[in-house]
Amino acid sequence: MPAIEYFEVECPEPLGAEYYRQITNDVLLDHNLLRVIHKLHVYIDPKVPLFVAVGILKKITTRVCVGDFANVNPLEGKITLVISDETYLAPMLRIFWQKFGKDHVDQPDRFTVILYDVKADLKEIEEIIVADPSESLYKDLIYAFRCIAPEGFRLRSEIFNKEKFSFVASENTLAENVDEIIREKFALMGEVP
Amino acid sequence: MTLVPITYKGGIYQHDIVTDLIEDLGGYIIQKHVIAADVVLQCFVPRDDIELIRQIAKPLFGEVTDTPLVGTEIAIVSMSLEIHHLPHPSCDIAEYVRRIGAKSNMVSLARGPGKRIAGLNDEERDVINEHDIAVYLMGNFETCIEYKMPTLRRGIEVPIVLCGGPDKETLKKIIDPPVDGYVGNVGRFMRRTKEADEIDKLDEIVAEIIRVLEKKREEIQKDPLSVSPARLMGLIKEKVPAIHGVTSPTPLTVQMAGLRVKLPYDTFALELRDLEIEDGIKLGDVSDIVPSRMRDYILVKILPFSETNTVI
Repeated sequence: MPAIEYFEVECPEPLGAEYYRQITNDVLLDHNLLRVIHKLHVYIDPKVPLFVAVGILKKITTRVCVGDFANVNPLEGKITLVISDETYLAPMLRIFWQKFGKDHVDQPDRFTVILYDVKADLKEIEEIIVADPSESLYKDLIYAFRCIAPEGFRLRSEIFNKEKFSFVASENTLAENVDEIIREKFALMGEVP
Repeated sequence: MTLVPITYKGGIYQHDIVTDLIEDLGGYIIQKHVIAADVVLQCFVPRDDIELIRQIAKPLFGEVTDTPLVGTEIAIVSMSLEIHHLPHPSCDIAEYVRRIGAKSNMVSLARGPGKRIAGLNDEERDVINEHDIAVYLMGNFETCIEYKMPTLRRGIEVPIVLCGGPDKETLKKIIDPPVDGYVGNVGRFMRRTKEADEIDKLDEIVAEIIRVLEKKREEIQKDPLSVSPARLMGLIKEKVPAIHGVTSPTPLTVQMAGLRVKLPYDTFALELRDLEIEDGIKLGDVSDIVPSRMRDYILVKILPFSETNTVI
């Protein structure tokens, strides 16, 4: 996992640790979350049982602009946008309707949007922010760690903020020393919670 | 005459030649799939006649392969239906054994996951016991497997093949009393089995299932069944027309020592009991006809020779 600077899975059972390293890698890769994690330490003790994941997040600027997924061509009083990725088409149309009005926006086919009589230059349109995927980042991270953690571990405590996160899960009531364990695991990465 | 399970794959054109041949030789077609212009027949044929079928199928570009799991119903016991276990590895394994001819059902436990909280209820136990073999797909930690296995196997009477993350030797060490088969290094994973080493693991599971079922077959041969399940299947098809109206892919599922009839028990149980097999011997005389825990199906459990003194 080259994108992550520090990635360790700690477990009293070495084979179990190896499998969980693979599971963590697969799940984060599937959810496209490797790009947002800088450091990650996972600790599993099946005897207690306890699952702890602590990590540091990368500062990400993932705002998606019109220019990122559309080719903007001004021609004879109209601006033609050729869309290469449909993912952000709906939010883009919503913004155009708000900004220019429905009369000035036309979509003749799936991959083409035409703006008529719009008082905006090429650069201005290209720089319109359409979406910010980081808004749903915490939700995605929690879902991913729920997939990674052993399934019966349904009692959870999670703290996610802009830089750091911790995720603890168990099938029993969480012990009082959980905060201490989290601190220990952060220390292993050379960080403080 | 020893009947052996095989699969015939060929074009749909003139495949009735092969179908007729199998029936004329005294074999039985268990399942027939027509996929576009291809046909797949899962059948039991006399061992000595396999070469003859190959020869006759050759001009039709048909292919005959050994599929030792034809005529078996396997329970793939998954700890839950959550994303943690599905579609990998549970579906991968269930689908792979189907390729070798088995009819596999996925049995997912309501409270399978976890360690302390894992449990098996009576319905799950009974459904698993209606199969020929149960393949338990466990997790990655030996601590958990050791702790929960006694609970999950309580009341299970069919042979168990245990798949888990720890290696085979560790599994053997931690399971007491031992189960019938073990496959190590197949725990929970979140990727599709497509690499060569992963396919090898699936082959290992199939080999272990075959080994355990062969042992069960030998046991059955020591006290043979009063009637062959495959023969019974043909008979029900012939004499109970309602079975042709069932839309299930396998209205009659052949097991090693029985048959699952996918008709409502209340309506058809009496008709099945009174079904004459030969010389006045009725199906009710040589088998137990009981309601299945799976929907409202009927389960026909064929009695051995020692109980009926009859072999038809």
